[in-house]
Amino acid sequence: MIAPIEATGLRKRFGRTWALDDCSIRVPAGKIAGLVGPNGAGKTTFLHLAAGLLRPTAGEITVFGRSPQQQLLLLLDRVGFVAQDTPLYSGFSVEDMLGFGRELNRRWDQTDVEERLRSLDIPFDQRVGQLSGGQRAQVALAIALGKHPELLLLDEPVARLDPLARRDFMRRLTEAVAEEGSTVLLSSHVMADLERVCDYLIIIAAGRVQVAGEIDALLASHHLIVGPRLNANARISGVELVKAEHTERQSSLWIRGPVPELGAGWREEPLPLEELVITYLSAPRAVTMPRPQLQAAAS
Amino acid sequence: MIWVTWRQHRLEALWAFVLAALLAGSVGFVALQLSIASGSCPGAVGFGYCLSGDAFGQIAQGILRFDLAQYGLVVLPALAGAFIGAPLVAREIENGTHHLAWTQGVTRMRWLLVKLALVFVPLMAAAALVGYLEVVFLNVQGPQVNRWNIFDQQAPVVPAATFLALALGVAFGAVIRRSVPAMAATLLAFVVVRVGIAELVRSHYIAPLAKTTHDLNAVGVQADPTAWWLGFPDYYDSSGHLLGNLIGPSVGQPSYVIQSFQPGDRFWAFQTIEASILTGLALLILAFAVYWVTRRAT
Repeated sequence: MIAPIEATGLRKRFGRTWALDDCSIRVPAGKIAGLVGPNGAGKTTFLHLAAGLLRPTAGEITVFGRSPQQQLLLLLDRVGFVAQDTPLYSGFSVEDMLGFGRELNRRWDQTDVEERLRSLDIPFDQRVGQLSGGQRAQVALAIALGKHPELLLLDEPVARLDPLARRDFMRRLTEAVAEEGSTVLLSSHVMADLERVCDYLIIIAAGRVQVAGEIDALLASHHLIVGPRLNANARISGVELVKAEHTERQSSLWIRGPVPELGAGWREEPLPLEELVITYLSAPRAVTMPRPQLQAAAS
Repeated sequence: MIWVTWRQHRLEALWAFVLAALLAGSVGFVALQLSIASGSCPGAVGFGYCLSGDAFGQIAQGILRFDLAQYGLVVLPALAGAFIGAPLVAREIENGTHHLAWTQGVTRMRWLLVKLALVFVPLMAAAALVGYLEVVFLNVQGPQVNRWNIFDQQAPVVPAATFLALALGVAFGAVIRRSVPAMAATLLAFVVVRVGIAELVRSHYIAPLAKTTHDLNAVGVQADPTAWWLGFPDYYDSSGHLLGNLIGPSVGQPSYVIQSFQPGDRFWAFQTIEASILTGLALLILAFAVYWVTRRAT
């Protein structure tokens, strides 16, 4: 099956800085995938490359097997995009925005969009500029959903919303994609936004993918073990170490793979998803995702 | 796209319509009054004096005196470029709405070309109409009228200049990505191009003719009223040495004067040449803007 998004060795340079540096990502079909990373990690750049708004400096990206740069027209009907800060024409009324969506899309489900907004009690004659942030985001989402996209890209859609509006937005999003079975790639720098809705996670830092996988699998394959203090330079064999931290009295090791036979004084501690993500983000040099799996998938 | 473009630009459309209607109305009205008066006019030149004394004639007189239409025809194309051309792409980028527009079902190329066509064509048509009325306004003043004095206000130069201003605006807007600096750049570039062409290039489209006058008292007096007289007359002494443009008391004895000029019958050739230059420039700049928006803008 053709992956909704597949990127290999993707690089993008702006001036002297590499926003993406050898980035390989495969977003599996039918998942809600979270793209998480600190500000400036390259999340927006990646989403823009997937939406055909940017051209890569090197490497390759395909969406449903087609290049968003060379064959964009074939993808526009199938890919929905909600840009950062959910931009809309602030002088337009909600009704006008729907007219915009209707006129600019060959595939457009007016009844569906109207129903969606009506159920949110968003007044159609209201100017978009006078809507609350949460309502604006909902209108932007409704317009992106209007073409029934098979892939929906969202760039930090809830970054500026209050917690209640965040939850509402995420709920609507998951309901909509559950109905349609579409694939979603959603970026955020706030893990809590993603944890509740995503079933696949891509952690990206400094333009590279650090780890990617099903959230369940990630949780099952990562462990935190704590024990008496080790020499900071001690070679730890037999485990794949993501990060090590040493205090005066004890050492904490974040490892990937099965938990080894634990010696005296060592114990395993729970590693929640958020901490797992922070571990990767705080250790940007940590081993990145093993590549062979991707290569195999690509060929 | 048509409705969306109209919805986005209807305020500008209203302003442009009002201003173009005012200009067309005043120029057309004066032309009409002059043509009514021309029957009772003794000579060919005294057009302002021939207007009737009634209210209409007075209004026409007033419009002529303030000459607002003449300024308007030069200034409005520049303003169209700055206020309509420059924000066309820049405002979308400023507000982030370009990412919204470019991820709907139409390509950037189509999005841009439809916008350009729907905004440019009516404005250029309005400019052509007013420029044409200006030509009529001169026509009714008889064959002796000098058209060169208001070269910049006549069709086809006016619509061509409007095209250039709009193209400059769109290109600067796309590259600078912010409306206000793009507006300033558009105004500056437009003024530089137009003044540069008028002052440095225009008189060279066709090699000027030279007129030699031996009767020094007749310099300027017997000049052809329909011609464009270039620069100051050059004074020569009897042996053919150039004495200078202006006669000083101690500078030898002037014998004859040579004046270069463009005759009146070249006027339309000059209009065509200048309109072609402006249109060509506009097309180049517009092609660059299209390239930039479709290939480079982010």
